[in-house]
Parts: sequence; structure tokens; C-alpha cells
Amino acid sequence: MIQRLASSEFFVLGLCALLLAGLGPFTPGLLSAQNLVNVLAAMLPLLLVAAGQTVVLIGGGIDLSVTAIIALASVAGAKIMTLSGGWMAAHPAAVPVAVGAMLLAGFLTGLANGIAIAWLRMSAFIVTLTSLMAVSGLTVWFTDSKNIADLPPGFFSLGQRLPPALGMAAGALALTHLMLTRSIYGRWIHAVGHNAATARVSGVPVPLITALSYTISGLSAGAAAILLTGRLETGSPVLGQTMMLDIIGAAVIGGTSLFGGRGNVLWTVSGVLFLTLLDNALNLRGLSHFVIMMIKGVVILLAAGLDVVRRRGQEE
Amino acid sequence: MKRTALILLDHAVILLFAGVLLTFGFLAPGFLSWASLGNLLIQSSPTAVLAAGMTFVLMVAGVDLSVGAVMALAAAVAGKMMLGGFSMPLALAAMLFMGPACGLVNGLLVTRLHIAAFIATLGTLWLGRGGALWITETRAMNLPDSFLHLGSSRLLGIPLPGIICAAVLAAGNVLLEQTPFGRQLRATGHSAVAAAKAGINVRRLVTAAYVICGFCAALAGILVLGQLGAVSPKFGLNKEFAAIAAAVLGGTSLFGGRGAVFPGSLLGAALIQAVENGLVAINANPYLYPVVTSAVIFVAVLLDTLRQRLRAAATRRIFPETEAKAFSASAAA
Repeated sequence: MIQRLASSEFFVLGLCALLLAGLGPFTPGLLSAQNLVNVLAAMLPLLLVAAGQTVVLIGGGIDLSVTAIIALASVAGAKIMTLSGGWMAAHPAAVPVAVGAMLLAGFLTGLANGIAIAWLRMSAFIVTLTSLMAVSGLTVWFTDSKNIADLPPGFFSLGQRLPPALGMAAGALALTHLMLTRSIYGRWIHAVGHNAATARVSGVPVPLITALSYTISGLSAGAAAILLTGRLETGSPVLGQTMMLDIIGAAVIGGTSLFGGRGNVLWTVSGVLFLTLLDNALNLRGLSHFVIMMIKGVVILLAAGLDVVRRRGQEE
Repeated sequence: MKRTALILLDHAVILLFAGVLLTFGFLAPGFLSWASLGNLLIQSSPTAVLAAGMTFVLMVAGVDLSVGAVMALAAAVAGKMMLGGFSMPLALAAMLFMGPACGLVNGLLVTRLHIAAFIATLGTLWLGRGGALWITETRAMNLPDSFLHLGSSRLLGIPLPGIICAAVLAAGNVLLEQTPFGRQLRATGHSAVAAAKAGINVRRLVTAAYVICGFCAALAGILVLGQLGAVSPKFGLNKEFAAIAAAVLGGTSLFGGRGAVFPGSLLGAALIQAVENGLVAINANPYLYPVVTSAVIFVAVLLDTLRQRLRAAATRRIFPETEAKAFSASAAA
């Protein structure tokens, strides 16, 4: 019974409903329309970067560097368009160039990760760990650990007004989902994640597929940085630093396997929804930062335990 | 030609270490003095101890991301006890109890609930850090001076942290290289299925590896307390990454079955510490420390990867990965 429930595609969405039904009556404001819009807006950046992570996880890898990429992209974009001494301050093309630079920063870092992992055949954990350290170090050094304020108001709409942000996230998600389910790339990345040696023998260009997955992850981190920077109205060298657990947690709660070969962007959407709702509800209840940390830790463990049950259910 | 390259790559970390020492010795006079080198070893002792424990977990193809949080939790409990009037031996005993207890939790999550080690220990990382913040009420806690005295005391002229570190490394080395337990760990890391078929109690073995890792985390916490004399909210933050990096620099594989406590862990920890101390000695921008450190780790791991591929090419089969495994298996035997 538990196994059948757990292996259902809608299991995590059910958990979300349970959370709302269980905490809603006791948490004033949780179910208000304004709050639900807030939740939706807060979800979007996490959604983007978790979708990228899902691609990497399906390929049997892991990308620990995304939080550093978010900070790098945020700072790079802000440095270009800030009105106080930016490289293109008050130039009409400043905002589009900055947005392009943010995506480019993510793309290039992801590509560097991908090259080291796919062609130099280094361990993904170590490569993305060192790039996490190096990229965040460089970002902090570049900014002297200061925020970059005075961004042009034209940029804020990207993070603050819901329609553009929602459109961007939905577009990226739809694209990633189609790529994973309908294209040859999707089949290949699943094959690589299942068994890289078999995939290579079957003619799959394994290094290329692997490198692409890290590039996608980097690009999605750059996109998340656009939304986060727009919301904060500042470029921050420590942006996203605490998101790591949420990113990997959302993918795993959704049902993507850490061992490769199994995953889905839509599952990740429900994982993100669940974690964001949980965070929101706990915050509304006025719990302190460390209690939320502990509860999230337990929830991740429970979700991972359920994932094991789910996997067994599928094997039978 | 190929043989020279292999011999060089076999000693890549030592060569890199020597290169780092010589470079900074050249740039900053006094860096290579005996006092400075002794200091380097003492400063790297917490990371070396952590890496020694991590080696056991990596050996069975696991990973423990919670060691930094365990350090913080144990230190927070000890600090609270000391400030509450308990004696220092009692506080130390509590720390040494908490470490293995946390390790046991990790081990049971991995072996009984079959949760991936990465996620299980990521969860306990957040539990531990949250718990430590809860206990310390997110404030820094200054401990009585007795901890600092412990850190700077000497036995037969040798600093106590050095003795603790040497004892842990020696014990870990004997355990891994000279006992059936060590051989079984290695076998399990190569193939848990094969090990189970050979009659090894894989669950108990893997759990034991996490318990050892937790114990080492608590010891490392004590060593850091001896250096700092205070528990801050950032106590042990990101130490898990330093420990994994040190173990990997020391030649331990993340995929299980290959590794050594000594000299690997010490060498890896000392290399990381040498880079940091050297940067301090030449007055580099502190923000650049992680950049240089990660570059050195990257180069070391890249060289190790190259070495394995060259070794693999020498055995001439079709798939490099299986060859690397086969080679390290024959090397371990």
C-alpha cells in the first residue's frame, strides 16, 4: 500500500496538499492568495537551477558548483549595469548585455566543469567542488565581498513582476522537459546515467553528452541568478550560498536518482514546490532559522527513505 | 619515457608539496624555518584526523558530508557543559561519545534504510548544524582557558595535538593495512556484492566505517577547540570538503577500494595547509586563498587521473575504467 502510494507520480504533490491542509488552519496567512503568489515567485529561481541539476543527476553526475555560479553571474551582471560606476552604466543596451553576460558566465563555468569531467575524466564531485571553491573565491575577491547596488529599474521587472519571471522559468522548464523526453539527447543522457560503458559501446558520444549536461546546469544557474538578482535589486557575491540542500533535495524528493539513469524535470517541479511550501509555512509560523534547518534535514532524510521504498516498488 | 612519466606521477602529491614549499620558501624567507614547518604540521592536524576518518568511509565507496556539523555539535555540547560547571574531562568524554553516536546514525541511515550516503549525510549535516546553532543560541561561546592550555601543552617536548594526530594516523593505518577489518573494508569498497558473497557482514562493516569517521570528527573538534578556545556558529564549517580533498590528495579514491590513512591523509592535509600558510606568509589577498587552494587540489587530482589512465593503458584492455579498477585491485592484493 505504502509502496503503491509512494511510487505514484503524484505522490509529492499529495504531500504538498497534505502540508497545506495540515498546517493551513493553524498558520494564518499560509493560504492567502498573496502568500501563494509569493510562494510561486520564490519557487522560480530554485526551479530553474534544480531542473539543470536534474539533467546532471540523470547522467549519473553531480554539480556542486551551481551556488557559486549563481553568485558569479549575479556579480558579473550587476557590475555591467549598475548605475554607480558600471561598465555600461545608463547605456540603453546595458540590461540586455548584462542578462546575456549572466547567462554566458553560467554557460562558460558549466562548460569548464563539463570538459574536466568528460574529457579529462576527473571525478565530478571533485571537479565541481573545486570549481565551487574557486568560483566563489574569485567572485568574493572581485567584489571585495561587497554587494553591488544601484541596478537599473528596468532590470527589476525580470525578478519582481511575476509574468516575465514565470514565462522565463516555464519556457526553460518546458524546453528541458522536451529535450529529456522527446529528443535523442534525452535518450542518450539516460543511457549514460544507467551505464556509461554500455552507452559508449552502443555508439553514444558519452563525453559530449556528459559535458552538455554540465553546461545546461551552468546555464540554468545563470538564469536563476537573473531572477534572484532582480528580486534582491543587488548583485551579491554570496547569492545562493545556502541553496545547495534545496537544489539537490528538490531533485531527490521529486524522485530523481542520485545514481543516474532516472529522473524527470516535472518531478523536480513538485520537489521544489514541496520544499518552498515547507520553508514558507515554517517561516510563517515564526520558527527560528536553526529549527527550520533541522526540520529540513529530517524532511530530506524522510524523502530519501521514501525514495528507497519507491524504487523497491518499481523493481517488483 | 612512459616509465619516467609514471614514476613522476606516482609521486605527484609529494612533488607538488615540495614545489609549494620551495615556491613559498623562495617568496617568503622564514617560511621554511623549523618553527614554521612544525607549526604547519600542528595546524594541519585537525584536517589530517578528519581525513583519516573520511578515508574509512571513502574506502567503502561512501562519503560523510556531516563531519563539520558533527564537530560543531560536539563542540557546542562540550562548551555548554563547561560553562555549566562540568569538568573538562567530562566535556571531552561527551564529545568523544557524540562523534561515534552521530557516525552510528549515519551508518544506520546508509546501511539499514539504504539512503544514498550523499543524501543521508547531507541531511545529518543540516540536523547537526541546526542543533549546534540551537545549543549555542547562534552566538559565539568563549570557553575557559583550559582548552587553549590543552592545545598548547606538550608531552616530552612534543605538542599534544601532534601526538594525538600521530596516534590517530598510526592506529588508522594499522587498522586499515594490518587487520582483517581493513582488508574486508577494501573488499567491500571494490564490490559490496562480492564481499557479501564471500561472507563479509557488509552492513556492520560499513556502519563501523561511519562510526570511525564520527569518532575522528569529534577528535578533530577537540583539536580545533584547543587552537581556538571558542565555539562560533561557523565552527567546522565546510570542513567536510577539506577532509575529502585531503583524503583524495592522499590517493584515496572516491569510488571505494583504494586509499591509505598514512601518509596520504597527512600529506593531503599538510599540502592544503602549506598553501594557506604560504599565502599568509606572502601577504596575499585573503579572498584569493580558496582560489589557489582549489587550483592545487584540481591539479593534484588531474595528475592522479592521468596516472590511472597511463597505468590502465599499460594493461591494454578495452575499457579504461574497468582496467583502473582491476589495477587497483591487483595493487591492493
